[in-house]
Amino acid sequence: MSSEKTPFDDGERDDAMKAAEHALGLLEGEELLASRGKLASDPDYAARKEWWDNWFVPWSDEVAGAQPSDAVWARISAQINASNVSSAANVDNSNVIDLTARLKRWQWTAAITSAAAAIVLAVMVFSPGTEPGSIAPAPDSPVFAAADPLVAQVPIGNTGLRLDVTYIPESEKLLVGAIGLTADGVHDHELWLVPEDGSALQSLGVVVPGEVLSQELSREITANMGDGVTLVLTREPIGGKPEGQDAGPVVAQGTFSQV
Amino acid sequence: MADSRSDLAANAARERLKQAMIRLADGDSAALEEIYQSTRVKLFGICLRILGDTKEAEDALQDVYINLWQKADRYDPERASPISWLATFARNRAIDRLRTGKVRGGAVPVEEALPLPDNTPLADALMVDAERSAQIHICIQGLDERTREHIRSAFFDGFTYAELAARADVPLGTMKSWIRRGLQKLRVCLEASEAS
Repeated sequence: MSSEKTPFDDGERDDAMKAAEHALGLLEGEELLASRGKLASDPDYAARKEWWDNWFVPWSDEVAGAQPSDAVWARISAQINASNVSSAANVDNSNVIDLTARLKRWQWTAAITSAAAAIVLAVMVFSPGTEPGSIAPAPDSPVFAAADPLVAQVPIGNTGLRLDVTYIPESEKLLVGAIGLTADGVHDHELWLVPEDGSALQSLGVVVPGEVLSQELSREITANMGDGVTLVLTREPIGGKPEGQDAGPVVAQGTFSQV
Repeated sequence: MADSRSDLAANAARERLKQAMIRLADGDSAALEEIYQSTRVKLFGICLRILGDTKEAEDALQDVYINLWQKADRYDPERASPISWLATFARNRAIDRLRTGKVRGGAVPVEEALPLPDNTPLADALMVDAERSAQIHICIQGLDERTREHIRSAFFDGFTYAELAARADVPLGTMKSWIRRGLQKLRVCLEASEAS
């Protein structure tokens, strides 16, 4: 950092400035995550970022257009068809067996066992939604319904401890296992989903040390679930991030992968 | 630059796109292809400019439309024109790929960008709001050339403060204060234009 003092030092700049920096794409690392967290919690800040976006976007008219290869649309439409087919197919019990194989492979690859992943299997096997002969989801169910669970591990520093996070698309349930973690009595930790489109972080709730918690997610959150999506863990006062305040420091992160 | 006939064409294209976005939000998957056909050249150009690599840009483009399909209901026709919204969406998506370390930072010089195809769909018609375009141009011209170029470079090439400072060979703090002063002036100018 330079020793030069200006009215626009990191600590002194106001929200309008930070929103402009985010909109331009100048931020990176923790500053970027903090700003994305703020977009989630502060509607004024989100509106300010949108204000800048709308002023900058006319510049995109100066960018030369370019033709993508035909393969791009082929891949998009294949992905959409696959999702439509799999959301219809995952009501078939044979899927559970297939899932077992993939889950084993994943466990082997990762060379770990995960309590949360074991629970997924139990849920998949006994879930009432897996009856054969059920029909495809109603048109108003979420468009994106990839059948496979997503698993993420969030290692906590160098402690060897980690959170096991599992998302089951079919039931829209999230399992967060914090086995081995203990509360310090001063802080809570809150888990956040980092939407891939750069929009605001979405809270997945406060982590409960020593327990595996299951919760149903809202559609706004499930729409952002997917392979490769990042999770971050922030340190907060007891009870989680206070309303209207910025999220605390990011202490750990992990990425969902499909099993 | 726009005579009344091209204004009409622009409005018609914009309206068709808006209707397709609304249909997509209502769950009509077929609308996505229509949106893709009319916007791919513009959005791919944006991704390519930021990412500087055809394969990465194509992956980003695929992400953009898949995301759009999943979250079409986020688009609010009252708040932004569809092409503004999509262009912002595509640029954010491309920047996000840069920041998550999937690709090297960097950009293609304009002259290296792929040429426009002959069948550019609605390229002229799908311009973002001309009036706002003129206003941001006026305001950015009010900055000194050095600051102007750095701010534009952040937008067009996706550079961070650190990258801009390294390229200009100045300390990070210096680059930050140049750009922040510029953004401050820009804000005052843009707000004044809204008030008038």
